[in-house]
Amino acid sequence: MKEALVSLVTALADDELIIGHRHSEWTGFAPHIEEDVAFSSIAQDEIGHAAAYYSLIAEVTGTSPDHMALGREPFEYRNAVLCERLNRDWSYSLVRHWLYDTADDVRLAALQESADASLAALATKMRREERYHLLHANAWIKRVSEGPVEGRTRLIDALGMCYAEALALFDILEFEDSILENNLLPCSSSELRGRFSMRATSELDDFGLPADVHRDLDDSAEFLASSSGDLIASEKDASSASARPGIGGRAGMHSDEFKALWDEMTSTHRLHPEAQW
Amino acid sequence: MVSASLAETVWTALGGVMDPEIPAVSITDMGMVLDVVAEDNDVSVTILPTFTGCPAIDVIVQDVEGAVAAVEGVESVRVKLVYDPPWSTERISPEGRTKLRQSGLAPPAEGPVLVTDIRLPEVAVCPFCGGRDTANENPFGPTPCRAIYYCRSCRNPFEQFKPV
Repeated sequence: MKEALVSLVTALADDELIIGHRHSEWTGFAPHIEEDVAFSSIAQDEIGHAAAYYSLIAEVTGTSPDHMALGREPFEYRNAVLCERLNRDWSYSLVRHWLYDTADDVRLAALQESADASLAALATKMRREERYHLLHANAWIKRVSEGPVEGRTRLIDALGMCYAEALALFDILEFEDSILENNLLPCSSSELRGRFSMRATSELDDFGLPADVHRDLDDSAEFLASSSGDLIASEKDASSASARPGIGGRAGMHSDEFKALWDEMTSTHRLHPEAQW
Repeated sequence: MVSASLAETVWTALGGVMDPEIPAVSITDMGMVLDVVAEDNDVSVTILPTFTGCPAIDVIVQDVEGAVAAVEGVESVRVKLVYDPPWSTERISPEGRTKLRQSGLAPPAEGPVLVTDIRLPEVAVCPFCGGRDTANENPFGPTPCRAIYYCRSCRNPFEQFKPV
């Protein structure tokens, strides 16, 4: 029971921490000042959510939230690979933001029914805040998809890079049987993946974006990143021996992009592990 | 023994603990205090954080500890943070709404907040001129709890406390 809760909440927390870290990299660099403010705020929310999740773990295991966030080895992180990818360009960051926050909404809606009362309450609280992330992401995808052809093309390219990795947010979790037996999640990861996929494809249809770019990837066992050789190249490291590029984050298999992020994110903590913030 | 009168004194003292990011309003104006229990001389205060990622929360906890410890008769104080019930902008008191407006921050629209509704309220009333012809410039602002608007009547940008 305890290990099931820790497994579930670690995956949730690591996703929020790592995507929050990536969003924060837009601070000072976004295409205009309102977006600088928006991405910085979203980053702050996500990292705050990670801190709340880590505190929940700390109550169960006695470890410190700082240790959870900054004191672990790269293979101990359970975030999906999607969250750790470099920001690349603005279109990639927007599409990832939209896919991630849509997936997070599906996940939080389910978590509100969790048998763990603290987790359910936290999910309810977070979902009220996350709706602003969705509002932001939806407004941008709508605006760019209705604009000049270059914007549309770049959104479609980014969808090709992100979509399969977004589905991997719902890869099976460690101790998933126990998570389900104890009703920590009211339904399986694959059920959630189905809900997400249905919602995302239907909303993409509404945006007039061609949903068929990714629909057929849902159950593909042989997915190859369709439009980006660099995604495949980054997986050549033997330690990330994932069968599909971008898949395996839930089992601790990460890309080289993660290793660089981890190195920077944890550097101060590794130099001064006892420092108080 | 539970002391109702000590709890009441503590509530009054908490009315003097200001929100570090909006110094015009207190944490009781904001509806952040869920409960105060005084048992003998030991006081327990339950606080509802406004936003999960709010960096002011540590300061608020310290300020609450200080304010309660200063109340005559209090020997120990414990502050608990809980998310159930979730804090909502509906908890802001009428005085709190007035003070927000006076400090140039539009209070959130009145009434229940629908989680399924991802639109911002169409109208935020300008805290400077009372104009309703306003436009949302950004659902995010300088702190997690604020959005940025522009008033077409008096041509001032202003911030709104976002409904959650």
